[in-house]
Amino acid sequence: MKIKHFVGLIGLMICSGTMPVLAADADTATAEEVINKVRAAARFLHDKGFSGYAEINNRDSRWVWKDSYVFVYDCRKDRMIAHPLRPDLVGRPIMQITDNSGKFIFKELCKVGSEPHGGWVEYSWTKPGAGRLSRKASYAMTADVSFATGIQVGAGIYDENITLPELNKAIEKVFDPAKYPAL
Amino acid sequence: MAEQKLGNPAVVGLAGFGLTTMVLQFHNVGWMGMGPVIWLGLIFGGLAQMIAGLQEMKTGNNFGYCAFTAYGCFWISLALLLIGNHYNLYTSSKTDVGWFLIAWTGFTAILWIGSMRVSNALATTFTLLLIGFVLLDLAHFGYPDLTVVAGYELMVCAALAWYVMAHIIFADLFGRDVLPVGKPWIG
Repeated sequence: MKIKHFVGLIGLMICSGTMPVLAADADTATAEEVINKVRAAARFLHDKGFSGYAEINNRDSRWVWKDSYVFVYDCRKDRMIAHPLRPDLVGRPIMQITDNSGKFIFKELCKVGSEPHGGWVEYSWTKPGAGRLSRKASYAMTADVSFATGIQVGAGIYDENITLPELNKAIEKVFDPAKYPAL
Repeated sequence: MAEQKLGNPAVVGLAGFGLTTMVLQFHNVGWMGMGPVIWLGLIFGGLAQMIAGLQEMKTGNNFGYCAFTAYGCFWISLALLLIGNHYNLYTSSKTDVGWFLIAWTGFTAILWIGSMRVSNALATTFTLLLIGFVLLDLAHFGYPDLTVVAGYELMVCAALAWYVMAHIIFADLFGRDVLPVGKPWIG
């Protein structure tokens, strides 16, 4: 009887469209994953210096995962340094880049990225593989690279619903895990 | 029989020191990438300055012997350190590079005192070099923005090293002291 109910529930989920959403989650990066990835990339650049940029520019590296990727930019020199999915942007100025609402994406990223624990910026960007604009929230933080200043690392999630307080809570969770003990 | 005239190795040492220091600062202030710094660091700031330093031995100049040989080695090790990072050979983190620079700061402080017995221009060059090292140390330990300050400050240092180089070369060519270097700070 119990098995029957379970099979029925699965059938209901498939019919109502809930199931495909759950399946897609396995391919969707979460806010906490993005923060951890950006922190790891910043640490990687601290350890390896500017010779680490080549690895981040490689789309087959560990810095491209699920539907997200790490990108590196220079806020002082106004240049994209590494972008695994948009090599055309590498070496180009970034400060003039706006989304369709006119938001200067990298000006905002540079501002929040210089905060002690980094920060989030929401904007519209093309989702990898989707070919259309999606709501993107990117997390940025400063990378400490030898003989350089103003280098930041970012990565984003594509989510139409997540709010800024929820994203900021994810920062707190990652940087201050003691506040959020595992249940 | 007339004695054969010998060149002064310091002109090559100062040229290599000045030029390589200058291009690293072009990078530090954000005008160019690191590529030219690595190759110049190996050949001009490194090999040529080191050979000039070793040639100083025969002139009996212990200050030049030590300074040029050592700073030649500084450039070779810095270039190899950065190349090593690229090939994952004993990689050096920003903290490691910071400690490397701190050791060179201590060494420079000793030569800075010695330079005060040479000339005003050389003592000023070493004062600026020491300040530059301290700024780069701080840039590697919590104050990354000082990289740019060190960049402009060390450009002046490199230009002054070239001034001392030009003083020697022009004195030889013009037969008189065209660019005076001034009296030593400690007589």
